[in-house]
Amino acid sequence: MTQRARNWLLLTPATAWFLVMLVLPVSVVLIFSFGERGDGGGYVPAFTLEQYANLPARWAAFKNTMVLAPLGTVAAMLIAYPLAYFLAVRTSQKWKTMLLVLVIVPFWTSILIRSYAWIFILGGRGIPALLEMIGIEGVRLIYTPFAVTIGIIYGYLPLMVFPIFVSLDRLDKRLLEASSDLGARPWATFLQVTLPLSIPGVATGCLLVFILLMGEFLIPALLGGGKVFFVGNALVDLFLQSRNWAYGSAVAVTLIVVMLVSVTIYMRLIARLNTQREDVSLM
Amino acid sequence: MKDNGYLDDRSRAGLHPIAELRGVSKRFGDVLAADNLDLSISSGEFLSFLGPSGCGKTTALRMLAGFETPTSGEVLIDDQVVNDLEAHRRPVNMVFQSYALFPHLTVEQNIGYGLRQQRPRLGKDTIREKVGQALDVVRLSGFEKRRIWEMSGGQQQRVALARAIVNQPKLLLLDEPLAALDRKLRKEMQIELQDLQRQIGITFVLVTHDQEEALSLSDRVCVMGEGRIIQIGTPQELYDSPRSRYVADFVGTSNFFEGRVTASGAGRATVVLKNGMPVEGRVTAEAAPAGEACVSVRPEQIRLSRSDRTGIEVVVHNRIFLGEHTEYLVRNGTLGDFLVLSPRQSELNDGPFNTGETAWASWEAGSAVVLEKS
Repeated sequence: MTQRARNWLLLTPATAWFLVMLVLPVSVVLIFSFGERGDGGGYVPAFTLEQYANLPARWAAFKNTMVLAPLGTVAAMLIAYPLAYFLAVRTSQKWKTMLLVLVIVPFWTSILIRSYAWIFILGGRGIPALLEMIGIEGVRLIYTPFAVTIGIIYGYLPLMVFPIFVSLDRLDKRLLEASSDLGARPWATFLQVTLPLSIPGVATGCLLVFILLMGEFLIPALLGGGKVFFVGNALVDLFLQSRNWAYGSAVAVTLIVVMLVSVTIYMRLIARLNTQREDVSLM
Repeated sequence: MKDNGYLDDRSRAGLHPIAELRGVSKRFGDVLAADNLDLSISSGEFLSFLGPSGCGKTTALRMLAGFETPTSGEVLIDDQVVNDLEAHRRPVNMVFQSYALFPHLTVEQNIGYGLRQQRPRLGKDTIREKVGQALDVVRLSGFEKRRIWEMSGGQQQRVALARAIVNQPKLLLLDEPLAALDRKLRKEMQIELQDLQRQIGITFVLVTHDQEEALSLSDRVCVMGEGRIIQIGTPQELYDSPRSRYVADFVGTSNFFEGRVTASGAGRATVVLKNGMPVEGRVTAEAAPAGEACVSVRPEQIRLSRSDRTGIEVVVHNRIFLGEHTEYLVRNGTLGDFLVLSPRQSELNDGPFNTGETAWASWEAGSAVVLEKS
């Protein structure tokens, strides 16, 4: 067998998977999105832009997704960075592994159960009840965008912590000593050495969380209580409840396009940040 | 301050100490990494800490840099106690073992890093000018915009040097700076380091485990072992007058013959070797050893002869031709094996000796040093 043939053979499983599990379904969805809803639901072949014309009816879901996904990503990043920094830079080798495991442990429990826990914490008998005890009444947390954001941060934190932790852990600690030796105060060292060198980890973490958040439906369904709808919820509703496959497909295609566009812009920005390093002097 | 009579002479000569260690110890858990170090570093000198790994030399350097705080004792820089002064506030710069250059910055930005931290801020033009001068000194002009990973090991080494000297520190600390370079490049960089030190006049403190490097570069060498300073002196003092077997063994190569001291006085002692032969030698330590002792003789100070039948009778066991010199491993039934380094010149008269041949080994009385047994 030639090297070339072997290469193709090795690539076959991945290619087959890619074609059957990604290209095929996406093509089907794309075709459906130009069709019409049958009388009893489902799909009737057609070529119409009617479904796309109806998109504004689901504007709220798009708006929520486009606001809460980036917001959740940034919030998770802001919380994850100090945590990852503490684990990677400040924690002794002895404790590092144990604390890391503690960060992952929630991941071993179903997201469903973890989100349910938040329903109780944020619900009437949780934090609002506590606030009432100290005289603050009428606070409503559950089924609000706030509750959804809390759920998102909680659920996706480990996913953000890990890439940042890895980039900070790999950072040569002698660079920090060198910076200090050259007269940089601790905060200046952080801004000029630690932060720039951990940007790749931050970028990866944000990308991962953002993409997953764009398709999220469980957390809004549980903590948003039907009031804070994501596109994911709209899709569940369209395909499984109203059985309007054509319209659902149009929404799905739109979501994919939105996602591709935002990820492309994001990647461009990161790439520019990297090449601009030459004149990045944060101080 | 037992071991550094030389230093006292220097300070009496009026040289200002730029840095001092006064009874400095550093404990890491159960390990005493530095044990009561006393040392005064004169302004403008090139001093080396020499010793095997784990001898405390790096700890000493890191205490000067401010990366470690002494457990007890005082570190002084420019007459100020700096024990609690953080690294970023000390007028000291370090060249790290693996350079620790910033990978996200260009050569120019790396070198200008220290200047950019100064408050009040320096002007951009001032920084550019100083960086340009530093690049000139290390002969890297034209490499301003290069990335660190585009530079060779030797070039990175020079960037690290430039990054440190551009700040005109009172003390330049070098932590095994040449260890990562290959032998040829290391030789070149040694010469460059020495030139650089003379050129800019900054006090250099070098840490190395390479005795050749320490001897060839330094004005003074501080030999360390097990966290303590064993002996401080010029390279020649250490080589010619080691005060302990440890120093004689670590600095250069030496042969040791064990025996008993039978007489001593006036800086000399007589030792009867195991074969009954009496040998006279200089006493370098404060007090002459009593009882068991050893005599240290450098291989190049031993003369081999076949005609002059005085000294120790040996059989030539191995011969290595080294060009200018020939190294012989010779064997005596009672005294064991030892090394003899013969210059070519003497070979013309009496050599070369063949393996298996019998010869007589002898040395001038003044070249032997009588030391404590261990």
